[in-house]
Parts: sequence; C-alpha cells; structure tokens
Amino acid sequence: MSKSTHREPVQAAQSAVEDDHASGLTRRTVLAGVAATTAVVTVGVDTPAVAQRANPDSDMETFEQLSEALTGIARKKLAPDTDSIGIKHDYFKWINEREPAAFVSLLKIAKDNANSSQAMIEKLQATDDTKFLARSIVLMWYLGSWYAPGDLKKLVDSRSAPKPVFIPHTVISPKAYAQGWVWRVAQAHPMGYSDMQFGYWNREPAPLDDFIIRTKVRGT
Amino acid sequence: MADDEVDVAIVGSGFAGALIANELAKQGKRVVILEAGAGIPTDINEYMNRFYKAAAKVPESPYTPTLFDKDGQFSSEINNPSKVPAGRPTVMTLGPSDWADPRKSYLVQNKTNDGKPATPFASTYDRVAGGTSHWLGTSLRFVPNDFKMKSVYKTLMDWPIGYDDLNTWYGKAEAELGVSADIEDQKYLGIYFPADYPRYPMPRIPETLTDRAVRNALKNLNPADTAFLGMSQPPTEIPVRGVPAARNSQPYKNRRACAGNTNCIPICPIQAKYDPTITLNDALNHKSVTMMRHTVAREIILDGDRRRVTEIKYTRYTTGPRQETVEGSIKAKIFVIAANAIETPRLLLMSRNEGRTPNGVANSSGMVGRHLMDHPYLVAWGSLPNSAKPLYPYRGPLITSGIEDLCDGPFRNERGAFRVDIGNEGWNFVVAGGAVGADPDVTTIDFVNGVNRSGLNRDGNTGAGLFGKGLTGKLNEIITRQFRVGFLVEQSPDPDNRVTLSDHTDGLGLPRPKIAYSLSPYTKRGLVVAKQLQELLFQKMGATDFTTVTPDDPTRFEAQINGRPVPLNYIGAGHIMGTYRMGVTAQDSVVDSFQRSHDHDNLYLVGSGTFTTGATANPTLTIAALALRTADRIAKRV
Repeated sequence: MSKSTHREPVQAAQSAVEDDHASGLTRRTVLAGVAATTAVVTVGVDTPAVAQRANPDSDMETFEQLSEALTGIARKKLAPDTDSIGIKHDYFKWINEREPAAFVSLLKIAKDNANSSQAMIEKLQATDDTKFLARSIVLMWYLGSWYAPGDLKKLVDSRSAPKPVFIPHTVISPKAYAQGWVWRVAQAHPMGYSDMQFGYWNREPAPLDDFIIRTKVRGT
Repeated sequence: MADDEVDVAIVGSGFAGALIANELAKQGKRVVILEAGAGIPTDINEYMNRFYKAAAKVPESPYTPTLFDKDGQFSSEINNPSKVPAGRPTVMTLGPSDWADPRKSYLVQNKTNDGKPATPFASTYDRVAGGTSHWLGTSLRFVPNDFKMKSVYKTLMDWPIGYDDLNTWYGKAEAELGVSADIEDQKYLGIYFPADYPRYPMPRIPETLTDRAVRNALKNLNPADTAFLGMSQPPTEIPVRGVPAARNSQPYKNRRACAGNTNCIPICPIQAKYDPTITLNDALNHKSVTMMRHTVAREIILDGDRRRVTEIKYTRYTTGPRQETVEGSIKAKIFVIAANAIETPRLLLMSRNEGRTPNGVANSSGMVGRHLMDHPYLVAWGSLPNSAKPLYPYRGPLITSGIEDLCDGPFRNERGAFRVDIGNEGWNFVVAGGAVGADPDVTTIDFVNGVNRSGLNRDGNTGAGLFGKGLTGKLNEIITRQFRVGFLVEQSPDPDNRVTLSDHTDGLGLPRPKIAYSLSPYTKRGLVVAKQLQELLFQKMGATDFTTVTPDDPTRFEAQINGRPVPLNYIGAGHIMGTYRMGVTAQDSVVDSFQRSHDHDNLYLVGSGTFTTGATANPTLTIAALALRTADRIAKRV
C-alpha cells in the first residue's frame, strides 16, 4: 500500500485522497480541489482567504467557551489551566481543516453571545451549517471521534426510515479516545483507559459534578 | 538449533501450545514452536494504540494482521482473505451481506449445505503469538456431569475422562493462569476440590452494582414461575456467583491487580488479565525453546507405515510491501498441533502425504473436522426506570458474576443447558445488535441529534438535539441504568457441523477452512428456555427490555414461548470446540484422553477441538488443564 509522505497540507481532503487514489486522480487535482473550495468560501468577501479560517491563538478562548456551552462540561475540565494533554489544540485544528467556514460562523456566534450560553445555543441552531457542526463538536468532546456534520444531517433526515442509515466516524487519535467525556458523564472511564483502583466498581461512584464540573476533587 | 535436536515441535502458541511448551521447557526438553502469525510485541502499546484508534473496537481490533488502515477504518483491501498469508475470521465480516461471501470472509461459509439451510458460525480467533488473547478471562471448571452426558442423560456422548481425573490439573491450571475466586462460592452441582487445595490462588474479584441488582431480583421466586427450567425442583432462588477469572485481584506473578479498565475483551491495558504471551515468554526464556514466527504449518508427513509423524512442512513468509516465502520442514520426536479447533483440522485435512492419506492425517475415524461447536450466545439488554437506583455500568471488569446453578439438571436429556453472564459494560456491544455501532456512541448520538437508534429516545425522535446541561443530565440518567445479560448455551455435537477444505485459498495458496454450521433442535430448545429466563429476570428487575433482533440477521429464528412467536438469534462466544474429539476408540473419536491421536503414536492434538461435548463453561480452563496433563505425559516420553 502506498503512503503519502506529505499528508499534513491535504488533511482536509484526506478521504478524498483515499478515494481518488482508486479513481486515478492525482494528488495535484486534490490540492486544486481544496484551493477551489477555499475560493468558493471567499466569494463576495473583501478579506483575504486566510481570514476565513479560525485562528488558534486568538480564537481558542472562544472555542473553550463554546465547547463548555455545547457539552455542559466545565471549561476547566475540558481545558485545564495546566493542560498536559492539550486535546483542545488537536480538536481546533481538526475542525479548522474540515469545516473552516462553518467554524468561523460558529465562533462568531459564540463570541457575540459570550454572556449567555442559552442565547448562544439558540443562535447557532438557526442555520444548519452551524447547528450540525456544533453537534459534531459535542460528539468530538464526548467520544473522541469525528462524525461529519453532513453525515449527522443525513442521520436526522432519515430518522423515520425503517432501517437506520449507517454513518461513518473516525477516531481522531488514541489520545482523543482516552479523553472522551461521555464516560465521565456516566461516572465511569473510557473502556481500556482507567485511572481508578482495584475494587472501585463495588461502590457507587463519586457525584456526577466531581467528574464534569468541580476541578478540585478528582473523580474516583 | 538443528532439526534433529528437537524433542517436541508445537504448532501454535496459544493457551495450549504455550502451556505445553513451558512445561516441557521446565524439564529441559528441546522445543520449537511454529507460529503462523507475528511474534510477541516488545510492549503492548502497539496493541493498545491500534485498539484506541480503531473505529470498530471488535475483539480482533488490537491484534495483527491489522484489520484497519491508518485512519482506523476497516479495510476490505487489507483484509482480502485470498491475499493475507495467515488470515483469520473477524466480526467485521459477519454481517448479513458478508458472512457467506468468500471474497470478504476468511472462513468460507454458505447459506445452504447439501440443501440444508446453514447459519453463520459466528466466532472468531486470532493468529498471532499468544493465540486468542482477546478472551474474557473466565476460568470456570466443568461440572462433573458435563463429562457423562450419555451415561447420565442418555444423550450426546461421554468423555473418556471425568472430573476426578482433571481435578488436580484444574488446580495447576488455576495456579499458572492466576485465577481469582472464592472456593466456597464455586462448590455447586458437584464441583469439589482436593483436600490439599484450600483456596484459589487469589481472592474473588468484587461484584458490581449490576451483579447485586440481578441477585436481588432472583432471591424470591415462585416455583410456578421457574418450572419451565426443568430442574428436579423448581428453584425459589437462583444464586448469583462470582465468576472465577484469570484476572489478578492482587499482585500475582509480577503482574498488577485489576484496575477495572472494563476492557478484558479485547485487551487488558495492564495485563492484569492473564493471556498466553505470559506463559509463552516464560517458555522462551529457556534456552531450549525457540519460536519461529510467520511460519505456517502446511503438511504433517507420516512414515512408511503411517504410524508415526516424521516431520512437518511449513512455509515462512515475510510481511511488508514485498511478500516472500521460504519452504522448510521441522523434525522432532513428538509433534503437538495446538492451532485451535478450525486451524488444526484444516492442517490435518491438508496433510495428504501425496495421496497416502487422502482423508488427511489422524482421520481413520472420519471424525476430523466434524462436531464443530460453540456456545451460541443469546444476549439481551435492558434499562431500569429513572425511579430505580442506577447500576453504574462501564466500571469494573467486563464480567464479574454469573448464574451457574442452572447448567445441569434432568432437562439435559432434551435441551441444551446454559450459564449466564452479567455484563458490566452497559450496552457497549449489544445496542441495535451492533448493526449501527457500539455504545455509548449510539445513545450519545441519539440525544445530541434527536434521533432514536438506541430505542431510548422514543419521545425525542424529532431531530432536535440536546446541548449543555440538558445533555449531561439526560445521558447520565440513561447510561447509568443500562445493563445486559448473556446466555451461553450448550451446543450438541452434530456431525454435519463441520470444517472441511474449501476451493478458496489464502495468501499462501493454501485452502481456507470451509464451515458448515447450524443449530440442532436440542440446542435451539436451550436458547428458548434461556429467553424465558431472561424475560423472568427483566420482569423481576422491573427493567424495560430493549433487545432487538433485526429482520435480516442471518442467525435469526422464531420460537414459540407460551403461545407467542418470539424472534431469537445468537452471536458467537468465541468458543471453538469439538472438531477432533476425544473418545475411547478410533471408531468414533480422533484422540484419547491424553489428546494423543488414536492413529499416530507421536502426534498430539490439543485445545478445545478435543472436547467431546461442549458443556456450558467457557472452555479455556479445561483447555489448560488438559494441556498440562498432556505435557506431563509427553515429558515422560522424550
């Protein structure tokens, strides 16, 4: 199996690279495709293309606020002050590479409504592109996996079908899997990644807030 | 090591192969192991990272050959069974459109065999050093009557060996694997322990809150409600016992105590669960033992009068972009085939000795490959109402307790027995029959998107999802009340359930195993009674049943329970048994009680393929006990 040595610049089109390989498209056409997508996004906007991507330095705080509002998990839990894991950086980059335009819109809504998470959530649900990206972001934090917004829309649109549609997902990284929050929401731990001690399962867990809200007490 | 220096050649390095190699090594015997797959990795991080990254965390997911591409997605190109040198079945190709497609499935299965409808053999295994390390760790002994079905219940067949013969070997196996259990808790249905065996190597693994809820539900039963079980007396209480497990409850043999990673299958990240690489490493620390990895045994060669094995021919292959192969052979005084109950008969049947053994080696009985068994596994999942106290799943080992007291009784003359596993992993592998993914993912996606694939979001199937505190509150309330149970049903040994050689080949050009499989009426009746017990249990727990059997499930069949049609299905337990069974004579069996071929004096066939009947206990401890007994016999001969 051939492996590209220059993955990084084309990550946004990664699945396209895989598919195109079979259909005989070259990497050059894929890159051209990415450029074209960016161009479409910038049509009618007077700023340079680069401004249409979120900025990991200036927008990170907003991303944290947004993530807290979406997930219901304290910001200091998602992104602790001393953050040796730094999963927020991976997530920010991942979204920025795949859904740059919707991400910018979503961050703008978050910034404009920084004082009210309720208002923030109402606003971001007003359009499909921000609503489904917001859901992808929740699932990212909860499961460490990427469910593309377009696939979530398909799922919702087919919710009354007799047989559920299959939607694919990608585990973002081994690290992301181990940082999944749904397990903590269940007062448990990711399967295969526990920092608890022998016998803990024989007792009730610590209160839910210890897992997802309070930063002083470590959930056991 | 020159070939002529080898005392014993062993094909396969799983439970039986590793244990035998190590016992022989302790006595200074010279041993070579042929392993079809990769060797032991330097540490388990490689396995763990592959597991974490895998989009589908199936039992085979950590191991090699990898199922996944670099993005963690299952790849049918990588897994093309006609190209992989030493392939294996995987859960990934058991779906309705894949299981009978030989382009996808390593095992060649058909929807009919000789005009009779067939259903999937749904168990998988690995081909890698250490064998099927993705086992759960359950280390149950058989109950004495399991060995004497014919004499006690006038059905199936007796083993040529009994509980009394295995009692001390069970103890030795428990010591080697490191089993945690409470000895008093394990004395049921005639199980007893020698006087000089006062306790298991370690105390029992503590129970979970789910275990406790099941126990409480089964404490006070009306005999009229349990008559369907067919016990000699309808029970008024069904005990829940700790499941003996090769899982450390305290530090043992330089391995840590279990930290409750809830991941025994497919892999314990801290090796608190025993796996055969531990014994294999011990064996390989002896200078007299070597292992040849990526070495596939292809033919067992017999001497002129076909009484003894002289050598085993093999193919070694390289992995990587350019696959190269080298042929060779290994000579030894004694040969042990420890390649599991599908690969062992495959090798025996491939060994035609240029036509001198047209039906394969060790097959004068014609029984090689026949009587393939599993424990058809009926799973059911439910949830407690919000008014009930949570069960807190996804905590602790996958299984800590079970129901064992129903696995023997007069009903065995007409239906398969069963034992019950109580799951600690919520709906992880059962939700929606696994068709659309695992939990907690499916349930989470449901509430985030306002859909209802799990069945839990019936009122919220509006497309309007939850965010923030509404989401955490809802998921916490729901997930902490999920549970599942599983019923392992004894399967009758049927001659037509069979491993033969197919016309389809693997990456080395060797014929892949062809499987014919279906459930007998005896086995199906066991599943029906299991379903009845499940319904009683859920009713007593006050649980809502969310179990679904999809219409296109190839294992589906319909049963009548109290006049109602009830769809049932099964999944594989991973317990592959019976294809070279032991017995008294070569008329109806392949090996004797020491697992030696009736036909060939220096050939031993080990593992659960020798099981005469399948019983209900997970087979590993019995595999291990029989292997230690066989090793003792072999050591006296070389």
